[in-house]
Amino acid sequence: MSAHTLMEITPTTFAPPIADKPAQADSEVHQTLIDIANLDFFYGETKALHDISLKIPEKEVTAFIGPSGCGKSTLLRCLNRMNDLIDIARVDRGTIRIRDIDIYQPDVDVIELRKRVGMVFQKSNPFPKSIYENITYGLRLQGVSAKSRLDEVVERSLRGAALWDEVKDRLHESGLSLSGGQQQRLCIARAIAVEPEIILMDEPCSALDPIATARVEELIHELKSKYTIVIVTHNMQQAARCSDRTAFFYLGRLVEYADTQTIFMKPSDAQTEAYVSGRFG
Amino acid sequence: MPDSDRPAFAIRKTRTRFLGLTMDECIQAFFGGNALVAVLVLGLITVFLFREGSGFFKQNQSNIEVYRTAGLEYVDHLKRQEADHTALTRYLFDLRVRVFKHHTEVEGATLGEANQQLIAFDDYSYDFGDTVEPLREAVYDLSESVTATKTRMLVNEDRLVERQQLRDAGAVEAAEAVVIEEIDLVAARQPLLAFRPVYGQINGQFAASLLSVLAAEAPAMPTAELEARFTRFHELVEQYIDGFPTVEAALNTWDPNEPIPTWKSWTSFITGERWLTASFWQDWYGVLPLLTGSLMVSMVALIIAVPLGVGAAIYVNQLASVREQNIIKPCIEFISAIPSVVLGFFGIAVLGQAIRIISQWDWLSWVPGFPVVERLNALTAGVLLALIAVPTIFTLAEDALQNVPRAFKEASFALGATKLQTIIRIVIPAALSGIISAVLLGLGRVVGETMVVLLCAGNRIAIPDFTTGIAAFTQPVHTMTGIIAQEMGEVVQGGIHYRALFVVGIVLFFIALFINFMAQKIVQRYRISIG
Ligand SMILES: Nc1ncnc2c1ncn2[C@@H]1O[C@H](COP(=O)(O)OP(=O)(O)OP(=O)(O)O)[C@@H](O)[C@H]1O
Ligand SMILES: [Mg+2]
Repeated sequence: MSAHTLMEITPTTFAPPIADKPAQADSEVHQTLIDIANLDFFYGETKALHDISLKIPEKEVTAFIGPSGCGKSTLLRCLNRMNDLIDIARVDRGTIRIRDIDIYQPDVDVIELRKRVGMVFQKSNPFPKSIYENITYGLRLQGVSAKSRLDEVVERSLRGAALWDEVKDRLHESGLSLSGGQQQRLCIARAIAVEPEIILMDEPCSALDPIATARVEELIHELKSKYTIVIVTHNMQQAARCSDRTAFFYLGRLVEYADTQTIFMKPSDAQTEAYVSGRFG
Repeated sequence: MPDSDRPAFAIRKTRTRFLGLTMDECIQAFFGGNALVAVLVLGLITVFLFREGSGFFKQNQSNIEVYRTAGLEYVDHLKRQEADHTALTRYLFDLRVRVFKHHTEVEGATLGEANQQLIAFDDYSYDFGDTVEPLREAVYDLSESVTATKTRMLVNEDRLVERQQLRDAGAVEAAEAVVIEEIDLVAARQPLLAFRPVYGQINGQFAASLLSVLAAEAPAMPTAELEARFTRFHELVEQYIDGFPTVEAALNTWDPNEPIPTWKSWTSFITGERWLTASFWQDWYGVLPLLTGSLMVSMVALIIAVPLGVGAAIYVNQLASVREQNIIKPCIEFISAIPSVVLGFFGIAVLGQAIRIISQWDWLSWVPGFPVVERLNALTAGVLLALIAVPTIFTLAEDALQNVPRAFKEASFALGATKLQTIIRIVIPAALSGIISAVLLGLGRVVGETMVVLLCAGNRIAIPDFTTGIAAFTQPVHTMTGIIAQEMGEVVQGGIHYRALFVVGIVLFFIALFINFMAQKIVQRYRISIG
């Protein structure tokens, strides 16, 4: 049991993503970053997650798939404790460790955790502020106010989210004036502006057209070199295209978890096969 | 026609009809009718207000005309001069009270001794008081004469109306029989014109006697502070004397036949500082004291109600537990169910008294206006009105906060914001226009509230003395709503006073309209910005 708090984490243990390690070797086995063990989760009296155990490796894309209502979002929101905002939600048993720190320990600083674990929501939700303000929001919360630093982060984040060229001349227009796809990329830019280590994405493309979807997928591919990404999706092709590992959930249970290739080509479970081949769900 | 024997399709099916309308059309007509009634009523109210109020400015013009032609205007110059002298006498009296207090309280003299010591002072003030006598007598005589002329003119006006009414009713003979007295205005004004040279003399003597009083040996003042006040008195009297030529010039250039421009009847209403009705001398209908009163009371109410209402809304909506919500919300909303007359009682019996007692606490004496003199004043009324505004502001602001999409909050939390940061940086800005319009609607509620101000504002029709700074808020005021409620019952329908009250009503109507309009505009913008 770890007695650390995330507050105490020194830069060496929680190092900022290192860019000079190219994502060349897909075969290379990455270290486990998130370790979920025997997790039971309840909404009030309803058990939404049953005994989930799952290790998510660093700097890879992990996809959660499964039919609607099977608990993908719930699990995802456990990873940055967004479920704390729901009164009746509680983790009943099990642990989630990020870099060996049990994030459900009472001494964990949730604020610090959420800075490290960014999130992109299903429905794009830029703040009703300017593009610039949207991206700098997280930094300003941390007390950064130097204009030069903010400018730099805005450019870097927007470039990172492949949005810079489209909006560089209108940074002070409302974030809501962008198209749906641009808004979603703005939300991604906003999430990476605070340099998290992990980015959680809950169906980030479900409201986008195929072209915008392709752009976000491309983006996910690029982000992979710097961030660990967990993505929930209903789109089998998407999971196949952009994830390294895939977890299939059914009725609150983890049915199968393996390389994406394995899941799609030769799943060991009959339910998984039925689902990925589109025969149910 | 091979199809002719086909049964008519359901399109042609006859439906049950009521007054030739189908069920759907009936329902539509019902709702449409209700909406129409609302629009009609609003239109009728507007038309009615304007019809009743419109005659006012014409009547006010003739009111001012009589004031000039009958010579009241002329005499008012003199009266003002006399009143200024009275004010100086009061200054002296006030000074005497201070000196007296010094003798008895600081030096420990008995009342008799103190009075003894003040003999020189009293002689001085008597001398000063006497100087105005010649002017006072003249004013008295002239007043008699001009009021007589005015009364005759007004009687004539009434008779003219009577004759017109008889004529309209077809009683031509009776109409002719109504006697209209010929008034020889020139003769009636003769005393005024004849007074001009006399006034020159009176004024000269007046100034001379004032100067001689000033030159006479001044009574000794016991302290430097009182001495300074006495010196100030000298300055004031000198200024007063300096003003004499202006009065004289005003009298000499006064022209009874100069027509009153139409705008005068408007400006005397809009910028008039006096609302004086049923007076022996001259009625004035100036809305300014009422408007000031209404604004002051509303200001106090808003200053209190905005932080309370908005603060409570933020707390309940964002921070409170469900249990707290279930207690606080109904409580605040219940306040709006209290009849305002009950609040008024509470204001008189409890709040006014409490404020007065609190204001007498020594350690609060630094607060401007404390201790309050009048139990009922703008502050008392404002505090109560705040109670009326809080539920409106609270409910609407809470709605606005509720309408902030949850997604904004989630996004903020996901970026590592605390609850407070999220509220301050995201929720409040997103709800801001809703909150502002809540405040505006609260203001509308306050401006229109009548019972509380009628009972608790003190009802003194005068612009408070703003030279005292914010202590002015502890003075009694009268309001636009209050004056209508108070005076409407006792005025002659169609008379100038009646119409003046309607014009005040129109002013209120427009203020309310404006506030609502602004609130709606802001809400619209807010809808757009939230998406
Ligand atoms: N706030 C909540 N309160 C109570 N129950 C909830 C809540 N959110 C989700 N649930 C329940 O938890 C279960 C899992 O929901 P979750 O949202 O995780 O599903 P999902 O896999 O993300 O589905 P989808 O693909 O439709 O988004 C569902 O049965 C749902 O009804
Ligand atoms: Mg979901």
